[in-house]
Amino acid sequence: MIEVQDVTVRFGGVVALNAISARFTAPVAGIIGPNGAGKTTLMNVVSGFVNRSGGRVLMDGTDILALAPHRRSKAGLRRSFQKEQIADDLTVFENVLVQIDSIGGTWSAKRDEVRRMLAVVGLERQADTPGARLSGFERRLTDVARCLVGAPKLIMFDEPAGGLSVAETERLGELILSIHGLTGAQTLVIDHDVELISRICAETLVLDFGRRIAFGPTAEVLADPKVKAAYLGTAEVEA
Amino acid sequence: MYARLGMVSLTQVGLMGIGGWVTLRLNYLLPLPFEANLILASLATMVFGWILALPALRMRGLYLALVTLMAAGGLEMIFATYQFPNGGEGFWGVKIGSFDPFRGPALAQTPEAYLRYVIVMVTLGFLFIEAHRRLFPGRAWALIRRSEAAAMASGVNVTLYKTWAFGIAGLLAGGAGGLLAGSLGLLDDGTFRSSESIMLFALAVVGGAQYWLGAVIAAFLFRILPALLADWGVDTDLAFIIFGAGLLHAIITAPDGIAGQIMGAARELSARIRGGKP
Repeated sequence: MIEVQDVTVRFGGVVALNAISARFTAPVAGIIGPNGAGKTTLMNVVSGFVNRSGGRVLMDGTDILALAPHRRSKAGLRRSFQKEQIADDLTVFENVLVQIDSIGGTWSAKRDEVRRMLAVVGLERQADTPGARLSGFERRLTDVARCLVGAPKLIMFDEPAGGLSVAETERLGELILSIHGLTGAQTLVIDHDVELISRICAETLVLDFGRRIAFGPTAEVLADPKVKAAYLGTAEVEA
Repeated sequence: MYARLGMVSLTQVGLMGIGGWVTLRLNYLLPLPFEANLILASLATMVFGWILALPALRMRGLYLALVTLMAAGGLEMIFATYQFPNGGEGFWGVKIGSFDPFRGPALAQTPEAYLRYVIVMVTLGFLFIEAHRRLFPGRAWALIRRSEAAAMASGVNVTLYKTWAFGIAGLLAGGAGGLLAGSLGLLDDGTFRSSESIMLFALAVVGGAQYWLGAVIAAFLFRILPALLADWGVDTDLAFIIFGAGLLHAIITAPDGIAGQIMGAARELSARIRGGKP
């Protein structure tokens, strides 16, 4: 379970996140909001690239903000970025293996785990292909496989469906839904694609201008007039 | 290091100077065999590499290049002021006019044997780098080059691996300096000018920093080409014009350098021979 408590971030005079709290219990949860709402900033606080002015983030009860970024990964935190991060001169296999290089374990156990996760995302036959020769979707799938290895506890995807076709997005959605059963990890997804969010996320946090404007079961949240006003921009007339 | 981490460090020649200095110093100080001196000098230079890594952890790109260039400039001044040990008294060990004999490797007393000795050492150095590239440090470096944030998110200790890379660069440069000292028996501050570092870096780009062949091509351009030109009775400054043309060529058409083009051509050729599409 991941719990965000009163997380505040200021960039100079701008309050990027204003005392955000949320307790994610669903296997797959979503974070949505207009551009600049603070979604990625929240993710950056959790992964340690942005320092918060206040607040805590608890992963299974431990405050992960006290750990150095690369140690959070050892504690089970994974994330992908808006742009997939695949090294062009490493093979698919190596790109995934990096994630578990620094943890203990035998080489054969690591190799088997990487192969297993590549099979999960459907890239087992491309294992030896260099990153430079992958398509956009294959690069994204490699990123997902990297998040799956090494017993993750929390996986965060930042706009995973950006630049993907409808069919690919559907495939990715299925994959994300299967993560909990496969690894036991909880998943947080940021995306603009409301259809994807409502299909895969049981609960959703909505941010606007750094404030939490709604949180709860996805269907209820999406029906909330405040959310419609902020996110879909339709309710200004009604208000 | 440029190829693996995308960081530009221009102190390589200065580090070679340190390796050479320590080798000479130990040679006159202790009755150790050449190999022991070489290893100790490499290790000492590795420590200098780590010191250089300190600014590198905060800086990148042009700023890192500038800082390392200034370090090279500083070393150049120190070498020019104190010279290299040649058997004299005291810590700096310099005496004027004559120098004491230098003990080369016991295995290689003639120049020809020494050349073979150096080739073996260089091969070992390449194998050492290649082993790194294929194992976990290589994977970590590749990801750091892609993006430091992504590397951190994947559990890579960016500080450790960057420092590691600097240490190895120092180790190899120190070994190279020691071998140079072993070849000449004495060193001169003119060999270790910081401008040489820039030239070496430019030629590494021309040759192709990603490949070991690129380093060989760079070394050929750097040392052998001017010597050839001199042999042919042509002005050796012509080499600089060739370097310039090579650099433009690399920047415009061959981001992987000449070695990249050769490797690409070889791959294509072997694919054609096997009857497949290139």
